[in-house]
Amino acid sequence: MSASLGAVGVGFRRRRGVPVTVVVCLVVLAAAFLAVVLGPVLYPEATKQDILSSLMPAGSPGHPLGTDELGRDILALTVAGAASALVGPVCVAVGSMLLGILLGTLAGYERGPLDFVISRWTDLLLALPVLLAAIVVSGVFGGGYWTTVALLVLLFSPSDIRIVRAGVLEQSARPYIEAAQMLSLSRWRVMFRHILPNVSSLVITNAMLNVAFALVAFSSLSFLGVGVPPGTADWGRQLTDSRSIMFDNPAAVIVPAVLIIAVACAVNLVGDWLGQRLTRSGGLA
Amino acid sequence: MTGIDVALEGIEGPAGRMVEPLSFGIAPAASLALIGESGSGKTLTAKSLVGLLPPGFRAAGTLRVDGREHRLEQTDASWRAVRGREVSLLLQDPFTSLSPVHRCGPQIAWTLEAKAGRRLPARELEAEVARRLAEVNLPARVARAHPHELSGGMRQRVAIAAALASDPRLLIADEPTTALDASNQAEILDLLRELQHERGMAMLLISHDLGLVRGRTDEVLVMRHGEVVERGDTARVLSAPEHQYTKALIAADPALALDAAVPAEASGHSEASAAGASTDASDAPPLVRAAGVVKRFGERTVLGGVDLDIAAGEIVGIVGESGSGKSTLARCIAGLEREDGGTIAFDGAMLAPGRRSRTPGQMQIVFQDPYSSLNPMMTIGQILREALAVGGRAAAEVPGLLETVGLPADAAAKRPAQLSGGQRQRVAIARALAPRPRLLICDESVSALDVQVQAQILELLGWLREELGVAILFISHDLAVVRRIADTVTVVWQGRVVERGPCARVLDAPVEEYTKLLVAAAHRDRPPRHDHTHSHDHSTDGRTIPA
Amino acid sequence: MTETLPTARAPRLRPIGRMLAVRVLGTLAILFVLSIVVFSMLHLAPGDLVKTLLGTRPASPEAVAAIREQYHLDDPLPVQYLRWLGGVLTGDFGQSIRLQTSVADAIGSRLGLTLALCGLAFVAAIGTGIPLGVQSAVRAGGVLDRIGTALGVIGLSAPTFAVGLLLLYVFAYYLPIFPVYGGGRGPLDTLYHLILPAITLAAGLGAIVLKLTRTAMLRELDADYVTSARARGIPEGRVRRLALRNAAIPIVTGASLLLTFLVGGTVLAETTYALPGLGTLLQDSVLFKDLAVVQALTLLVSLVIAVIALLADLAYLLLDPRVRAKGGTA
Repeated sequence: MSASLGAVGVGFRRRRGVPVTVVVCLVVLAAAFLAVVLGPVLYPEATKQDILSSLMPAGSPGHPLGTDELGRDILALTVAGAASALVGPVCVAVGSMLLGILLGTLAGYERGPLDFVISRWTDLLLALPVLLAAIVVSGVFGGGYWTTVALLVLLFSPSDIRIVRAGVLEQSARPYIEAAQMLSLSRWRVMFRHILPNVSSLVITNAMLNVAFALVAFSSLSFLGVGVPPGTADWGRQLTDSRSIMFDNPAAVIVPAVLIIAVACAVNLVGDWLGQRLTRSGGLA
Repeated sequence: MTGIDVALEGIEGPAGRMVEPLSFGIAPAASLALIGESGSGKTLTAKSLVGLLPPGFRAAGTLRVDGREHRLEQTDASWRAVRGREVSLLLQDPFTSLSPVHRCGPQIAWTLEAKAGRRLPARELEAEVARRLAEVNLPARVARAHPHELSGGMRQRVAIAAALASDPRLLIADEPTTALDASNQAEILDLLRELQHERGMAMLLISHDLGLVRGRTDEVLVMRHGEVVERGDTARVLSAPEHQYTKALIAADPALALDAAVPAEASGHSEASAAGASTDASDAPPLVRAAGVVKRFGERTVLGGVDLDIAAGEIVGIVGESGSGKSTLARCIAGLEREDGGTIAFDGAMLAPGRRSRTPGQMQIVFQDPYSSLNPMMTIGQILREALAVGGRAAAEVPGLLETVGLPADAAAKRPAQLSGGQRQRVAIARALAPRPRLLICDESVSALDVQVQAQILELLGWLREELGVAILFISHDLAVVRRIADTVTVVWQGRVVERGPCARVLDAPVEEYTKLLVAAAHRDRPPRHDHTHSHDHSTDGRTIPA
Repeated sequence: MTETLPTARAPRLRPIGRMLAVRVLGTLAILFVLSIVVFSMLHLAPGDLVKTLLGTRPASPEAVAAIREQYHLDDPLPVQYLRWLGGVLTGDFGQSIRLQTSVADAIGSRLGLTLALCGLAFVAAIGTGIPLGVQSAVRAGGVLDRIGTALGVIGLSAPTFAVGLLLLYVFAYYLPIFPVYGGGRGPLDTLYHLILPAITLAAGLGAIVLKLTRTAMLRELDADYVTSARARGIPEGRVRRLALRNAAIPIVTGASLLLTFLVGGTVLAETTYALPGLGTLLQDSVLFKDLAVVQALTLLVSLVIAVIALLADLAYLLLDPRVRAKGGTA
């Protein structure tokens, strides 16, 4: 803290470039993306059981991460499981974002009875803890992977609706919107041409964070035995299946657990960084 | 030696040098004004003297208080001995400078304890807080109030009491009245002056308003882009400015212009136009006729039956304090608010409440804040093309439109964030002109601008009326600005019209009591020339707390 | 300081009362709608209702008739709902077909463990999250802040069961000082068994508390009143308490996030460590389609959440004098 440091201020530390942490996160996400795309090609028979080679520890010949009690290769299972673990959460975040944009914009701009109905609907959904509701509904009503996706879209949408609505409300009060009204522009044009781009940074940031939350929710559900049928290659499912063999082949538990944590962290960090950049630059421009 | 001596060697920010070396001294009980527009470095200078520069900024230099020297680059820990005891800071906004969740008493008491360096007995504290409140003319029960229960003026008094509770040798007041109503401004400044004399305390008054400091400080320093451009005795600087920038500041300050003799050109033009308008009114219907307009927000009646006529090509000024209903009237005429009663006619045809009954070609608004009245995600070209399309005009007219408002054609490719406040306001005017409206509503359209830019925009509006024949409804709280542009003026108070007539007549020879008060308040900001004889003749009785 | 207030108290109480009444009515409305949803669960669940209710018993005509009689399945639906609601309001949630006991008993015997787990985790999360959050904000950008932020991201991102399994592995294999399985016998032993699950649960909770506190404190420390207090020479310790008192408002408002996390997290933590609490009861009942238990637990959780949300609103009123005055539409 000497006085002779000269003109370089603290503010300079935030350079234009991408921080190292974010680069690491992007690499993790790229690897995960590759696993989703290439998993089915590389390991089309990942879930095939082979009792003869069951419970081999990590480092065994032909099975670098060993096998589980059903003789499934952990490496193959893990790579193939990426699709089930990651595609659903992304769909949930995107679906919930679209629902949020539609209902949130309508509620925030049109106000009146429509706003009342939409707001009460979000109140009701927000009173439900997401995981509990998902466990109960998925568990009691059954349904497969895509039913779970649809259910989570519904349960995640209130946060999107609220964020979009609040953003739209805030923007609607601004003079540039009143100026648009002075030009007698149509309401759709005002909503989607003028307001929506100005709340897009909020929406995109929240969607990123939703991917992380949905990833956690999805894997939690499959860990509890809900949402993903037994025998599917899926990280959460893998954890619950391999819990009993944790001490025979720790890799069977540790690898998928660490992967879930790593991908969720990466999505969260990239989301935070994106959010900061978007708010600083004032939008997507 | 006594008094304050500052030798600032400079302030560095993340983007380079913000303030150049400057030095000044203030004798005990004397005061110095630091004048500059936003970005001049005046607030950074103030904050550097209490060691509270924002992160990323660094100051070098010395501050000498009664001979005790403090380095400006010292650590936070050493600053603690300086803050409060030697120097205290009073901030602009009394709404945010007090903790909203704590009562006022404790906030003063903390300063007392900080000065004593120990906890004080409750009874002693209570008595001392009451004494400090009395000093700023507040009753002791204010100690039990939360800040939000007090008016802006009272809050600023509490903030003063808190800032002075540590008995500093120097008080830095950073725009202490900018957030207050006109009537409170003078009282707060006079109170500061009084307290200063009682305590023999030096004061550094930071302001953007040259008119405000006349008669209230001994010396003036004028800053621009981090440099002092002129300094000297306050009366001398105001009466005989030497630097070009100071001259421009004084010339462009509409408030100072109000004091000056009415320019022959301006008054002649006002009378001629007013006469012209009245002859028009006799045969043709006015462009806009609002009759008995009533507007309520919940229980509160904002407009209690207001009449207003605007003739074609006329500039009508509406003046009044904030909350008087002047903006609401304009918004009802524009259709942005739905009136609860009365009628509004355009060109003789009745308009139903709301936007739906109106067309873009009838009227357009230019809003106050040029930073939020343009969509930040669109380019200027996109904004103007959209407005032109509404008026059925071709996109090719964008450059011509930009030229009309005095902007270069290449501005079309820029986004609002790349333009200055004045340029943005020109874009807002261009957008408003695009559908060729017959009436332009300017709702405090120049209030957020620097004085020099303000003058340019006023000139542009006058020119537009001459060239395009557009009528202008000009709303402002600033009498001097209205005086410069309007043909007729309507004074609004508590949702009712108090007085109306030709601009020069109403503002120079007001008939109604309220108008007289308004004009007097505008003048009171600038007390008479012979500063030091200036007495404390509060025309309004001392503020009392609602019980 | 015994003088009267500048404004009388009575007129200020009325808007508070009205606001509370509105909130209570809103909560009741939500609970009412949820009770209908929960009741319909029984009828909407796939498969034959009678078979579900019979569970493992043979479906003889007599047994079917008995079930129809017992559950009044021949009554119109609104009547069935009212009868069911009446039972719920008097604490009668019906019978668990899996456990062959009353639902109330099944829940009652497991409630203590879950409450203890949540309580422990909550205390641990508040105890670490708030001080760490305050320190992170005070020295933003410093070492502690970086560590805190990193821990916060991991805590927020890592699913409870993943953390739990990793901890379980470490503490069972490398550092066997805590029990990693089951609920233990006797209060002290139970507490001992709860240490690891509570830490697991507190990781996520604490991360939320940390993030809320840090954000709120950063904003408050940037406020004018903090600058003004510092400029008056008020000691840094007092300035921080001042800021924390103001930051308490957004922190308490975020309490609903904690609750939502806690509900899901408990299920996962109990499942991971095989604790006989409400979470495992819910999971087992869902998988077994023991609908009476699922209905009761769902309603119970909704009720707890609604009540705590109301309490958070009340705390908000106590913390923010401005809302008190306005009658709070926020």
